[in-house]
Amino acid sequence: MTEAPAENSQPRKITVRYYRFRNSLKEKGLGGQVPSGPGSISEEALAAAQEQFEKMAEDYPDWVQSVLTRLHEQHSRCVDTPELRHQCFKRLNEIAHDMKGQGGTFGFNLISSFAVSLYDFTKPRDSYNDAVVELVKAHVDAMKAVIAGRIRGDGGEIGTELTQSLHKAIEKYELVD
Amino acid sequence: MTTYSFDRFSVLVAEDNSYLSTLVLQCLKAIGVGNVRTAADGGEAIDILNLMKKDPTKAGLMSVDLIISNWQMSPVDGLMLLRWVRRHKDSPHRFIPFIMLTGFADREKVSQARDMGVTEIIAKPFSVTSIAKRLIQVIDRPRQFVHTPEYFGPDRRRRDAGGPNNQERRVMREDQIEIIYD
Repeated sequence: MTEAPAENSQPRKITVRYYRFRNSLKEKGLGGQVPSGPGSISEEALAAAQEQFEKMAEDYPDWVQSVLTRLHEQHSRCVDTPELRHQCFKRLNEIAHDMKGQGGTFGFNLISSFAVSLYDFTKPRDSYNDAVVELVKAHVDAMKAVIAGRIRGDGGEIGTELTQSLHKAIEKYELVD
Repeated sequence: MTTYSFDRFSVLVAEDNSYLSTLVLQCLKAIGVGNVRTAADGGEAIDILNLMKKDPTKAGLMSVDLIISNWQMSPVDGLMLLRWVRRHKDSPHRFIPFIMLTGFADREKVSQARDMGVTEIIAKPFSVTSIAKRLIQVIDRPRQFVHTPEYFGPDRRRRDAGGPNNQERRVMREDQIEIIYD
């Protein structure tokens, strides 16, 4: 493939290069042994990682309070300074994006679910009227309820109630809008 | 099946969310990764990589084997970090495996990361299992790198299959292809 071109031929015009390297990462993982077949992570190591994961999941409700406070602050700014709503919504959207991934990671699926809704809802829009701001509050309140009640997974009956309540608020907004 | 030992691995984690950053760090440490460095955003990750290239002792890092980065960070996000790693002249390792953690699940975003040369994507919410699975994938199934005028990164085709709709749209004549081995 890399042999010299024949005499009198046009210079090669290489348009694609493929780089095929030896698997040094695998060699490293095997401590210098000759690579052969697929490998794995030991059960003990995975269990230790899972333990760390669960420990952090336990602390998540305390940690996320500060994020909920930030959401609450942005909502208050929307109420107090309507002319800054565009900026506040941008910030709300960023926080909601972060929360989408966090909640579910730590078992608080409803946080992710409500954050997805808030994320979609806070994307740039034509109007930032009072009804929209109220709907932000409905999302923040729903998330606060999830954390206050330590509602994990789908939350069973309470989870369904919270979800329905938020959906009703959204429907109400859509009728007004 | 052989069990990997990660004590000689160095991983750079770029994540602006301190809680998730700690979570990833703790998980990597728990599975035995020898050296984990964290950066609060893509810019800090670039600073670390730059320093590592110029003065590894000062950087406290001789090399990085893998980058795990969040996508949405400010001011320098994960995609900008990936672009720098793959294309910038100062990048210390343009072929490094790069795993993107992201809450962006839509197809368009996934394609964007893929076209920038991402190695693997982990969707948030994630778990220990999803991190472990991608780590093994990176080690066991490395892909050749492709360099064309439009693209530089791991081969976007994972299998030896035809192109989209079974139409081979790639090159062409053998003399237009160069294969480089190390």
